[in-house]
Amino acid sequence: MAANTTGNEAGQGSEKRGSRGISLEMTMLLPALILLAILSLFPFFYIIFMSFNTVSLIGGISFEWAGIENWTRLFTDSVVLGSWARSGLYFIATVGIEMALGIGIALLLNEIIAGRYAALSLILMPMFVAPVIVGLLGRFLTDSTYGLYAYFLNATGLYTQDILGTPGSALMAVILMDVWEWTPLITLIVLAGLSSVPISVLEAANIDGANYWQRLRHMVWPSIAGVVIVALLIRSMDAIRYFDIIFVTTNGGPGNATKIIPIRLYETAFRFFDLGYAAAIGLGMLAFSIIVANLFMRILKNRGLAR
Amino acid sequence: MRHGTVTKVLLYVALAVVLVWTLVPLLWMVISSFKSPDDLLATTPSLLFTPTLEHYGALFQSGLWGYVQNSLLAAGISTIIAVSLGCLAGYGLSRAKFRGKDHVAFWIISTRMAPIAAVILPLFILFRYAGLLDSTLGLIIAYLTFNLPFAIWIMNSFFADLPPSLEEAALVEGATRFEAFWRIALPLTAPGIVTTAILCLVFSWNDYAFAVTFAGPDSQTLPIAASQLNTQTGLNWGQLTAIGTIVVAPMILVGLAVRRYLVKGLTLGAVTGE
Repeated sequence: MAANTTGNEAGQGSEKRGSRGISLEMTMLLPALILLAILSLFPFFYIIFMSFNTVSLIGGISFEWAGIENWTRLFTDSVVLGSWARSGLYFIATVGIEMALGIGIALLLNEIIAGRYAALSLILMPMFVAPVIVGLLGRFLTDSTYGLYAYFLNATGLYTQDILGTPGSALMAVILMDVWEWTPLITLIVLAGLSSVPISVLEAANIDGANYWQRLRHMVWPSIAGVVIVALLIRSMDAIRYFDIIFVTTNGGPGNATKIIPIRLYETAFRFFDLGYAAAIGLGMLAFSIIVANLFMRILKNRGLAR
Repeated sequence: MRHGTVTKVLLYVALAVVLVWTLVPLLWMVISSFKSPDDLLATTPSLLFTPTLEHYGALFQSGLWGYVQNSLLAAGISTIIAVSLGCLAGYGLSRAKFRGKDHVAFWIISTRMAPIAAVILPLFILFRYAGLLDSTLGLIIAYLTFNLPFAIWIMNSFFADLPPSLEEAALVEGATRFEAFWRIALPLTAPGIVTTAILCLVFSWNDYAFAVTFAGPDSQTLPIAASQLNTQTGLNWGQLTAIGTIVVAPMILVGLAVRRYLVKGLTLGAVTGE
């Protein structure tokens, strides 16, 4: 159920309980909220402060007021703008392929009766693999001398160059590593949506002579559209949260082929020690995730009202 | 749906393709971890070899146990704190009525969604001031930045699913409000609590970005040990695949143990599963 954000349905009996009841709930809520405030609000204001300073780590931490310099750079620096573009490409490719494949595999599993949940369990396994291991394993598989996948690509003549050493194939490889890990999440969510399509509706359509694609379009799709959007938002949020796979495979290279914005931020902060500018980049990323969070809250409310 | 034989065969062929794509990397990792260095360096992939435990042995001889302990401590303690506070606050949030509740909910969810690279920056400076770099305590705090909002949010969603009538019945029989929570609501959400704990554990056990930035020699976790194998000693694929197996196997086991509740956990309560 998704109606948990409004609280209207949960507090029905609370008028009778009076102020004593409210105070117990607040007492239970407060310790966590105080800790969360220390963990989130304090760093949040601190990163805003950082973004208006030149922060140096050399010889102890020092702050020097920089006004809006970091922010003007953010919008004029062609190198960072290039990273945003690269991020956009990476984001659309990973999330796009994951959505398409994930929905496809969910529809496939939905048609399979014998062994559906055994197959689902196997399919879900990549989701639990640490992203850093996905990256390192990806390096192993694509290693031009010892890699299993490199071997087959070479032997069949499909691709003979160094996979992670060539810009185009490096980008493709890190995208596919992400796809390998996270497509199962989309499958899991969409399959849950498919299981809730009433069978009577489908059988009625079947009797009416509708074929599979007609049923999919007119019966199934409308009832899973909400779940698909949830999957898209959840995946979008995580797609910009993590950067571990690229971090340990190409670290942005070759050239800038895989230098998505979190990699650029990390490099700006911890290789060039330009933490103030990195803070401005970080706030740009945060703006994106706040937009996604906002959309997610709206979906939750709509789904809550629908029930 | 009923299918004809041809359709059925096609469906299972498609499933086989999906399973090959999914499982080959994992199987190859586990297989390679048992290969001798000579077999690993063969330029033609082979499944015929004499298995050896030498990579696992070498890892534990070179101090892997320390990394395991750091991982367990950082992920475990952060999970325990997040789930305990998350149960209390999740219940409070699901039952409380107050102005601005939507804003509190939005704050919690956007904290969970904040990009790791952006969170690392202020924490790095603050940890440096506080002397928390290279300490397990620092990692526990870093993991709480995502585990705590996650646990509050998910537990809120599991508690919201319980019909209030159960607790009301307990109140009529003379229980206090806290007893109604402790004896009725909490046991009924046991699967939710276990799922929340497992997901918190997986997220923090699998973390690389925080650990590589904050941890030093005394607090490095397993993912750091794995990444160091790859750069320091050249390309030690044997030990790398062995450590990969050690990192991955327990998370797959605990993750699949709560498969029925995963949808709810991973969609932050927006979709209820199976």
